[in-house]
Amino acid sequence: MGAQGKAAGASGGDTSLQRVKVYRLSADGKWDDQGTGHVTVDYLERSEDLGLFVYDEDDHDPLLMHRISTDEIYRRQDETIISWRDPELSTELALSFQEATGCSYIWDHICGVRRNLHFNTLSNIEIGPRPATEGLPAFGAPQANGDAYHVVNSELRDLPLVELSSLPMILKTVVEGAECGVAEQMRVTELILQDQYFFPKLIDLFRMSEDLENFDTLHTIFKLVKGIILLNNSQIFDKIFGDEFFMDIIGTLEYDPEVPQVQQHRAFLTKHVVFKEAIPIKDTIVLSKIHQTYRIGYLKDVILPRVLDEAVVANLNAIINANNAVVVSLLKDDTAFIQELFVQMRSSAISTDSKRNLVLFLQEFCNLSKSLQLVQQLRLFRDFVNEGIFDIITDTLKSDDKKLVLTGTDMLILFLNQDPNFLRTYVIQQEGNVLLGLLVKGMITDFGDDMHCQFLEIIRSLLDSYNLSGSQRDTIIEIFFEKHLDQLIEVITSSCPPKVGGKSDDSGGNVGARVVTKPEILSNICELLCFCVVHHPYRIKCSFLLNNVIEKVLYLTRRRERYLVVAAVRFLRAIISRNDEHLCRHIIKNNLLKPVVDAFIRNGNRYNLLHSAVLELFEYIRKEHQNPKALVIYIVDSFWEEMTMFGHLASIQAFKLKYEQLIENAEARNSINVDDSRKRIDDRALEKEEEDYFNEESDEEDSTSARASCSQNQHAQPVLPNGTGGSLSSISSGSIGLVDYDDDDDDDYNPPPKIMQKISAGENKTENSSKLKRRSISSANDNDEEPERTKKSRAEKNLDSTTAVAAACSNHGCSDSPSRNGPVPSVSNGLPEVANSRSPNEQDSQSEKAVNSTDANVSEPYSVR
Amino acid sequence: MSSDLDRQIEQLKKCEPLKESEVKALCLKAMEILVEESNVQRVDAPVTICGDIHGQFYDMKELFKVGGDCPKTNYLFLGDFVDRGFYSVETFLLLLALKVRYPDRITLIRGNHESRQITQVYGFYDECLRKYGSVNVWRYCTDIFDYLSLSALIENRIFSVHGGLSPTISTLDQIRTIDRKQEVPHDGAMCDLLWSDPEDIVDGWGLSPRGAGFLFGGNVVTSFNHANNIDYICRAHQLVMEGYKWMFNNQIVTVWSAPNYCYRCGNVAAILELDENLNKQFRVFEAAPQDSRGVPSRKPAPEYFL
Repeated sequence: MGAQGKAAGASGGDTSLQRVKVYRLSADGKWDDQGTGHVTVDYLERSEDLGLFVYDEDDHDPLLMHRISTDEIYRRQDETIISWRDPELSTELALSFQEATGCSYIWDHICGVRRNLHFNTLSNIEIGPRPATEGLPAFGAPQANGDAYHVVNSELRDLPLVELSSLPMILKTVVEGAECGVAEQMRVTELILQDQYFFPKLIDLFRMSEDLENFDTLHTIFKLVKGIILLNNSQIFDKIFGDEFFMDIIGTLEYDPEVPQVQQHRAFLTKHVVFKEAIPIKDTIVLSKIHQTYRIGYLKDVILPRVLDEAVVANLNAIINANNAVVVSLLKDDTAFIQELFVQMRSSAISTDSKRNLVLFLQEFCNLSKSLQLVQQLRLFRDFVNEGIFDIITDTLKSDDKKLVLTGTDMLILFLNQDPNFLRTYVIQQEGNVLLGLLVKGMITDFGDDMHCQFLEIIRSLLDSYNLSGSQRDTIIEIFFEKHLDQLIEVITSSCPPKVGGKSDDSGGNVGARVVTKPEILSNICELLCFCVVHHPYRIKCSFLLNNVIEKVLYLTRRRERYLVVAAVRFLRAIISRNDEHLCRHIIKNNLLKPVVDAFIRNGNRYNLLHSAVLELFEYIRKEHQNPKALVIYIVDSFWEEMTMFGHLASIQAFKLKYEQLIENAEARNSINVDDSRKRIDDRALEKEEEDYFNEESDEEDSTSARASCSQNQHAQPVLPNGTGGSLSSISSGSIGLVDYDDDDDDDYNPPPKIMQKISAGENKTENSSKLKRRSISSANDNDEEPERTKKSRAEKNLDSTTAVAAACSNHGCSDSPSRNGPVPSVSNGLPEVANSRSPNEQDSQSEKAVNSTDANVSEPYSVR
Repeated sequence: MSSDLDRQIEQLKKCEPLKESEVKALCLKAMEILVEESNVQRVDAPVTICGDIHGQFYDMKELFKVGGDCPKTNYLFLGDFVDRGFYSVETFLLLLALKVRYPDRITLIRGNHESRQITQVYGFYDECLRKYGSVNVWRYCTDIFDYLSLSALIENRIFSVHGGLSPTISTLDQIRTIDRKQEVPHDGAMCDLLWSDPEDIVDGWGLSPRGAGFLFGGNVVTSFNHANNIDYICRAHQLVMEGYKWMFNNQIVTVWSAPNYCYRCGNVAAILELDENLNKQFRVFEAAPQDSRGVPSRKPAPEYFL
């Protein structure tokens, strides 16, 4: 007790430490002097609670009696003042101390009381039954005074030597040091670190007590070690997590007095948990770090999760992270080790089990490389790519072991998050094609109860046009469509019931030969196709027109699962929102809205997601589509009678109104002459766009037009590969600018076969007149290539569309430029990228302000990280 | 099936998360139920309305203590189940499991935090990664978010929504034409419903400091309530220290159900109980005691390479 003896000298008298003036804040805001006296801490009468007492120094009358509150009402100012708002008196009180040390002493007690309430059990043991009273026994034994005083003060010089008898004292010092102020905490830490025998002796005591089954001591040691960990000092952590002490430290933590049974942490760590060495690691530093890391994690997550505060957890995580970085960088620089790893993995001689371990090891290795600096990590990944890691992942994806397959995909995601171009570059190579195929296969494979949404994620980020360079983008999407689109469509067509009379209830797996595909898989396929439509509108157009893909995807509307029907509607919505006239015409020609409308009608008056999705589609066509005319007329003409049951809905009424307006406008236009309409063209952009559609070739020319739209170099002279170009008449060589032609293509608007033709002969005329052809270069359409001006002819109708489209698709002028066609925000890329800067979430932190704004803290972001 | 579900509910009530495979099955069932709900979901009284929870699982247990268990009590939750608290996974999965088990006794509508972007910043994403070692659970949950309804209408008299009104929405029927199955957009009606706030000093519409949605004044609320023949609007989205707060002459009320928000704001929470005659009773409650919400210990990995 080296601090003894200092007390008297420093304080110049026993009572000066306790001498205080009491102030009380008056109603008019002044501090009233209530008198001078001596302060003590003692139990309140007939109570377990502690209070502050001040007795007048002259007449010993009580000046103050205050129950120490557990709330944070106390403030310490200027070393010598403690003030608080007294809840019982409803005013501010203050004690002004003669000496700072006296103030510290009382302050520590207030902290102690507050702490004890939260850590009841601690206080009972180490501080003793009446912890505070022994502190300042105003007129009591000076020795006790000195001890208690210095233990909680930074004047503390020494820790007692670690012995059985001194444990409670050390415990008290450590616990109070940790709780009361940074200075005390640092001093205690320093003392522990100075004493080189501290931990060896503590561990000796622990072993001895464990042998003797002295549970009281073991419990005290538990609390002491816990207290030392809570000091949160890195040097101490270095010591106790070292190989020398760590297992014993964990041993001490098996004796939690609050838990009835002794825990078996050491047994778990030495007997149950398995340290696997896929490739033997020879470096002892690495080995030691690996074990240490696991044990720190164990201590944090299993032994003391309820005890550690955020600061300690953060510190431990930092140690783990640093360890991982050391391990990964030492191993990655060990060329022999890395080569051995890859040689083994490529070897056909090793057992499946060893191979499995190697893959699991590799995944953990990649995972831990997150602890490296970004540049180093990038370099490591590049090395792995050069070593052929993607070949190895390809092998794992071929495995029947689902766990192994998912491990492979986890690695791919790590690489994609680092830099998607690693994987893209690989996949567009000949040998990389296999991997893409396996990813597609994984997406459409039934994984049973396991989640396998990462396949969709991976394919999506491979195809993401945001961060694709031009050539890569074209190549990868080409490979994907060429090799896998059919496969995906086949899954849909084989899982949907054949054309049914409208009832979708007999769908699904009921039909004999039908493949049973999990609806989840169908939904993923549909989502991927939507993604492609948004990111690669031109590429997909060719493929879609060629193979009737849209129609096949819409088979999903026959499925029983409503969310698949909705997915199909969204797919069509994505197509329509491209505002592509060829696709539109394709839709009309093939009556592709029919399955959607049928589903809408079957759904009846149910106000559900399907209902809203279809109404939204109509609203989009009516309000936002750049060239709504054809679609509006098609829909009303084809389906109006069936939809009368929805006539009460505002959006349906508005749709009909739009239809009537379009017809009227067309009529009005019929009455003005060509020259006038030419002059007005600029004022009537909307109509111009409508006319653009009618300007163009008819639906039979889908193929030709698809080619045109795919090509940016075909403004003037389309040459059809099958040589039928000669039969196309009236290709206007002056197709730049406004072009009139007066030919009467009645069948320009070709409604689907079944529709009810409601347009009267007169209306038909208006149609024709609207086709007084004008075209502006500055078409608002995405692909502002000049469409071919063609007349109807039999020859066109006989055009070999397949050849035409194929030719178009191989035309390299065809390019999906993300800059021109930014993905709509509603189609989300679920990859874990940080939200972009324009997103609302940045504001969110400020946003959740209290309505009454009483707490300034609330405006800070709170993160669990 | 329902016995499985009952077991999962019991497990979740102990704040133990489900296995990945169970989450998957639960989400797929929830999807089938939620797809049938309308953008303005009709709710019958009596019902108890709850505001933001934000992953404060043990405080939500206090809520159920005060409000009664589901299905005995009919609940309407106004969104923001996840983020910020320590138990977003358990909180959301418990609510979702209750929804699947008792679809007619609990209604969940979407809050601005039920979003991929927001959850990547405010904790749910990291929590899933930490608790499951992969983000697949996050993917499934965020897919479910897209199916959650946008608002509720109680007995045709009380309109409930997470954030507030939108300048593009003057009648409830206009909400009908939103295809809600999407990530919360950055603007437009759907965004506004989830992001907007009422504001005293605003006349008409004002820019929101949140960067999404709008501020709207009393006159906006008056005309909306009149046009739609409703008594008042009940919403959440903003911390109120007293748990609930009326504005604009009792035309709109904010209900906040995360006591001691972020474990440090010191506020109380409230739920609004409506009886069959729509009589209101606010029930105020405090945070769960400290010791009942310790961090649960994690199972250690059975093997390690590094």
